[in-house]
Amino acid sequence: MALEDYRAVMERCARGSFCKWIPLAHIKSWRFAKGCPSIEYGGFHSYSATGRLAVSLSLLEGRINYTDELLKIAYKCQVCGACDVSCKVCRDVMETLEVIRALRVKLVEDGQLLPEHMYVIENLRKEDNMMMKSKAERGKWAEGLDVKDLTKESAEVVFHAGCHISFDEDQWKLARAAVNLLKNAGIDVGIMGKDEACCGGKAYDMGYRGEFTKYAQNNIEAWNRAGVKIVVTSCSDGYFAFNRLYPQLGSRFEVLHTVEFIHRLIKKGKIKFSKTIPMRVTYHDPCHLGRMGEPYIPWEGIEKKIRGQIIVHEPSKPIMRGGNGIYKQPREVLRSIPGLELIEMERVKEYSWCCGAGGGVKEAYPDFSLWTAKERLEEAKATGAEAIVSACPWCERNFIDTSNGNGERMKIYDIIELVQQAI
Amino acid sequence: MTLSREVYQALEDIVGPDNISDDPATLDSYAFQWVAELSQRGSKFMPRPEAALLPGSTEEVQAIVRTCNRYKIKCKAFSTGWGPYAAPKTDGVIQLDLRRMDRILEIDEKNMFAVVEPYVIGGQLQAEAMKVGLNTHIIGAGSSCSVIAACTSFLGPGPDSIYMGHSSENLLAMEWVMPTGDILRTGSLGSGAGWFCGEGPGPSLRGIARGRRGAWGGLGVFTKCAVKLSPWPGPAVMPVEGVIPAYNSPLPENFRAYTLAFPTWESYADAYNKIYDAEIGYIAHRQFNLLGEEVWPAYIMRFIDPTKTTDDLEELLRLPEIQKLKVEGRRSFQLVLAGVTPRDIEYQKKALNEILVETGGRIVSKMAEPAMERFTLLYLIKMCFKEINMGLAGTYIGTFAQHGTPDFLVSHLRPAAEEALGRHQRKGLIADTGADSMMAAVSGIGGGGDCTFEQFCHYDPHNKESVRGALAYCADAARAARERGMHGGLEDIAREISKEELEESRRHAPQPIIYAFQRKIKEAFDPNDIGDGSYIATEEVKY
Repeated sequence: MALEDYRAVMERCARGSFCKWIPLAHIKSWRFAKGCPSIEYGGFHSYSATGRLAVSLSLLEGRINYTDELLKIAYKCQVCGACDVSCKVCRDVMETLEVIRALRVKLVEDGQLLPEHMYVIENLRKEDNMMMKSKAERGKWAEGLDVKDLTKESAEVVFHAGCHISFDEDQWKLARAAVNLLKNAGIDVGIMGKDEACCGGKAYDMGYRGEFTKYAQNNIEAWNRAGVKIVVTSCSDGYFAFNRLYPQLGSRFEVLHTVEFIHRLIKKGKIKFSKTIPMRVTYHDPCHLGRMGEPYIPWEGIEKKIRGQIIVHEPSKPIMRGGNGIYKQPREVLRSIPGLELIEMERVKEYSWCCGAGGGVKEAYPDFSLWTAKERLEEAKATGAEAIVSACPWCERNFIDTSNGNGERMKIYDIIELVQQAI
Repeated sequence: MTLSREVYQALEDIVGPDNISDDPATLDSYAFQWVAELSQRGSKFMPRPEAALLPGSTEEVQAIVRTCNRYKIKCKAFSTGWGPYAAPKTDGVIQLDLRRMDRILEIDEKNMFAVVEPYVIGGQLQAEAMKVGLNTHIIGAGSSCSVIAACTSFLGPGPDSIYMGHSSENLLAMEWVMPTGDILRTGSLGSGAGWFCGEGPGPSLRGIARGRRGAWGGLGVFTKCAVKLSPWPGPAVMPVEGVIPAYNSPLPENFRAYTLAFPTWESYADAYNKIYDAEIGYIAHRQFNLLGEEVWPAYIMRFIDPTKTTDDLEELLRLPEIQKLKVEGRRSFQLVLAGVTPRDIEYQKKALNEILVETGGRIVSKMAEPAMERFTLLYLIKMCFKEINMGLAGTYIGTFAQHGTPDFLVSHLRPAAEEALGRHQRKGLIADTGADSMMAAVSGIGGGGDCTFEQFCHYDPHNKESVRGALAYCADAARAARERGMHGGLEDIAREISKEELEESRRHAPQPIIYAFQRKIKEAFDPNDIGDGSYIATEEVKY
């Protein structure tokens, strides 16, 4: 939908500023009550979701023109969705996150681009990845790994490593461990190797819908050619793209994050832990796996009024409030590791604080990105945990980058590393 | 008017370049406001400020105000900023957004008060207070609102007022950057004795600075205040369970969360008085009914069953149990009891039972189910679901918001409010939620005696016809109030009625001379008239 199609959402915003906080019911302290990194860093009201709705309406009404500041308002946001969750506690007609996305799409269509994003998108168009790397290097993570090449063979399951893991040598071990776990459990799994392409999810969040659609269609075709039924990924961005966005283009694959697959294997007794990891850890819910991890539910219908002006939909419209994301599985996986103690942070699950890496922020506003991660590490430290565990390579990298710059002592893991250590 | 380069530079020198903006997009985010479409501009946007500033300290606020005096520029500060009264009322105003001043400076457990800066919200202070066995009054607008704004700048009643008082009662010492730019420290703070008292030793200016209805951002900037805290006999952290939006909290043994209903409005009013007399109740409020007598029993089910949405409203309304709740729940309000000891809660329960016997009232059975009790408790203790007000049609406007004794409200205000709203609901331009869509603070002040009824008109701000319908209703509501000797409330302010109409409305206030005194206060404290025009005062002194 175009920005204009969300005019009703903008005009129905009551500027209650619930979007700036975690759901009020969950506030446990002064320190960790805030929910939106953008307003906390940007300062002015325009950097909140309600502010962005106002700016969008002003733009539609011709009250303002494009300025550098307007571009910052639109792009200096991780599109993490915390605003959307807090707004929807009480409001069924609001889609604040969709307005923010639609604003970016309009900016891109109108040529209002950030140079930092343009470089990344140019590279995506040429090299099929968001990491500013050559596509020739893409499959290196799998060198020596005995796994099916789905450009030549077929398999029931494709493991999609994603851009970050594929080009971050420190993270190759995550993909290799995931593939080995799947294989050892007897799963018919393959990879696209050097021909794997970006999921398009980050381009989608940055407002580049054309690029997203192109990569989504290419991936769907490639997987269909390889006879794939299930897509497994360790990347939460990828999970969101495959699980929520691709079905809108006709994709019908079952989509699983690695942590879901591991959880299944533990439940079936196909993964057994033999080692103890005596450590207190806390778990960071990646936005795209947590509050945005709910599956796509197709809906076609209309808004109508009952009792004069009460707004309803015909047929009933599914509402993505973030409550049914992937929360249980990572926690149960961690709790099943002998010796490991899981301590929760104050902001968890649908109201988790973002890692800071998403929405094109790491590319365009690295200081803001690192500040956001630092806030999360502070929260993790406040639990008394020795380590923060996540299930997304973008989160992990941003925590590591922040930690390196600040002399943090907190250990940072992807959940699959701990699983592998405990086997 | 656009700020001259000289003025902008002077302001930038105070707060630094990162904390000032005159970018139109930024400024329009400040102009956008709730119910602004009801104003004469007919737009979601109030007047656009000339600049927005983010001061980080009292000293910066003082320097800004002094600069405004030097250049004769109006300024208006807000803390959390909800409502048309937070935005500039006219062109030519600079907006101070106080969000960088966001610390809880102190919680004095022994003396039961906290000292806060403007951007501390009720939810934050409450969470920290509960850790030490204390609680803070949360205003009816909800826990997302600034504590300081409630204490200094607006009315300030809330569901817990019966136990914790009105915001004006809870305000202790404060730090006030007056419209001249001078800093006044009131009460005990003014004599260097700390924050514990608003009335002295030291200057006692609570009545001058905020009066009954607050300064509305038009009389300088309140930069710190101490606020009275109350005992909290619950857990240090309220456990919250359930899937969004069906959050709920288990009831501790010493708590009860009831919905009470009465056979007549007279018995309803009697129950208020008897509750005041018995000195029971931690929270007493008519909350759910703001969604309308015809709708609330079905609508709140979305907070019980997370698979439900507003789209399920009609289906839910057809359920026999909801039909029964609708009938049982007429003339009802919520009452939370909290016992500081087991004997205390037993006494309160016993007293309530006697009140119900004497008034013919009863506990509404559906609302006594565990899931409903848990939801009621969480909602009213934390005031965390307040955007429910916007949940039906997109937004609402509160009308007939009057304080008075229980019998005055039920016998005098209520019939007028029901007649006006019911007539307009039948036209289809506002939501037909039922003629009784009244929220009510059972107690507007600590201990009771004074209470409030507010009639909710739900309308769609996206639909121009609906906006026109809401406007027509507001005009009618104000007229009906005046005919019964009452002054207008939010409906007058949102519509930005003419000066003459406003003066006429205020003549019907219980003590119209107050507005004349407020004019005198304004003239004395703001000689250069740099305060925003929201400050409530009559145009001329007439007494």
